[in-house]
Amino acid sequence: MSLIVAEGLSKRYGRVVAVDNLNLSLEEGSVTGLIGPNGAGKTTTIKMILGLLKPDKGWVKVFGQDPWDNTAIRSMVGVVYEKAFFPAHQKTLEYLRRVCRIFGVSESRAMEVLEMVDLQEASDREIRALSAGMLQKFAIAHALVHSPKLIVADEMTANLDPQARSELLEIVLQLHKDENVAFLLSSHILPELSMVCDSVAIINRGKVWAFGKLTELYEKYAVGIIRISTDRSYELEAEIKKLNYVKESDSDIRGISVRVVEGKEDELYEDVPRLAKKIKAKILGIETGSASLQELYRLAITAKERK
Amino acid sequence: MTNMGKGKPFLEVLASAIHEDFRFPFLELFAFFYALGTFVFASFTVGLSSQITTNEAIAYSVTNSLISGSLIVFILLILKNVAYGLGNDLEKGIIQTYFSYPLRRRGILTAKLLSAIGVSLLLFLGIQISALYILAPDIVFPHLGTVILTYAASLSYPLLISAIMLLLTLKLRRGGIGLVVGIVLYVAMNIASGIAFFVAVSTKSPLAFQILSVISPTYALQYHYGGLSGISDIFSVPWIPTLSETLLYTGASYGIVASLFILAYVYFSRRLNL
Repeated sequence: MSLIVAEGLSKRYGRVVAVDNLNLSLEEGSVTGLIGPNGAGKTTTIKMILGLLKPDKGWVKVFGQDPWDNTAIRSMVGVVYEKAFFPAHQKTLEYLRRVCRIFGVSESRAMEVLEMVDLQEASDREIRALSAGMLQKFAIAHALVHSPKLIVADEMTANLDPQARSELLEIVLQLHKDENVAFLLSSHILPELSMVCDSVAIINRGKVWAFGKLTELYEKYAVGIIRISTDRSYELEAEIKKLNYVKESDSDIRGISVRVVEGKEDELYEDVPRLAKKIKAKILGIETGSASLQELYRLAITAKERK
Repeated sequence: MTNMGKGKPFLEVLASAIHEDFRFPFLELFAFFYALGTFVFASFTVGLSSQITTNEAIAYSVTNSLISGSLIVFILLILKNVAYGLGNDLEKGIIQTYFSYPLRRRGILTAKLLSAIGVSLLLFLGIQISALYILAPDIVFPHLGTVILTYAASLSYPLLISAIMLLLTLKLRRGGIGLVVGIVLYVAMNIASGIAFFVAVSTKSPLAFQILSVISPTYALQYHYGGLSGISDIFSVPWIPTLSETLLYTGASYGIVASLFILAYVYFSRRLNL
């Protein structure tokens, strides 16, 4: 069953096109990453999914319904924003009890969710007295009160230190495993998403450029890719490009990703040391098919731009 | 999976809003200023109202003197709650948090407004009624109609300011400009009434006051009961509106206020993008 379906979703802010004819679907029980650079349209997409923004064109359905001012959906969806804001002068446990009453669940659930995010010791603290990491954990606890089937989180780890980030990702994994909660997680921090996501939607300039299960996307974009780590990426790439069996290449400061004509991988393995010697570059490693989510993202964007 | 019963989202969002709007020391401070304004000004103007002779006019004068002392406190409290409270909620994202609860947008706005304006009004009226009961029960209670009309006329302009501030706060999604406009409107009305008085005296025409009474019917009421004490004897303003006319001005002003609030509800429910 699709929890979220969006078709032809578009939104403009004046002359700026934030989301442009975006299509997306999210299946029950999946953990989907919405990845893309800042300004790609992730937050606007999420706001339309949550019924905070009206699309200019297209439509979005959450649990088969229009999310705008829809109270039925809100009982099934939990929300975590990049910066969590709650009434600041209320105590954490007291406020979560209020949220329990809002959703009509037992007030004992308030302490349960605080314990789930390891905040039980802050139960008597005012919300404004929580640190950034604790506040994000509190936001997760708040999103869990009514045991939603889907949690939508927009850049929930963006303002956190590495320790807090990894704790939050642990919580995501745990919830997914124990309660089969589906997640839509937007982020531009790709390594952490690769830890938790089974699907990704790569969003750029307001469009979904690639979407699918991670394994499928690796197969589509990263198979046949040879990754060369070197101290002189750009110079070595210029030499590699001259080889007639090289289909495409891309480099960054740490290395080069090269795609070759099928069956020519061994030739590249032989040619690279020779070319490196010629320009006095150091080869730190050569690997086949080991693209990270970051590389996958770059490859998908490159492939789309070429089209 | 948690068992979900029937929740009370409206009451809880209202309780949460009241908790924030009237947290210590705001409630205590404003209640003190209300009491101070009401009782101090009451004893001052009961003396003034002795120049007015009919019983109804005396009831109006006493009620009006009680109101005038603490109306500014009411306006300040509304300015704080709408511009600072709701404005902050919109600017910082607390409204987005409320939008994750199973409560319609109009319910959320109603809860916020009941807290920001409704509770302020209850506090104001509670202290006012107590003061009337303590200070002048024999004068005001036989003329309850006059007393109610005086309150209705006096409160319409502050409510108009609130409605305009609310619209601005919703449109701009921040309270700062709404707050400035609210203060400017309050001051502007005092200036406008002064100008209207001199225009009326010099042109011998009540038109300026009639226009002003549509947005602040307290002027129509004032002239219905004989104008400004003392001043009217020196500068004659040729206007004595009937009670029906006064009621009409009051109704018209509430019509404007209601239209603006309805506009705010429609905008919040159908158009407000966060």
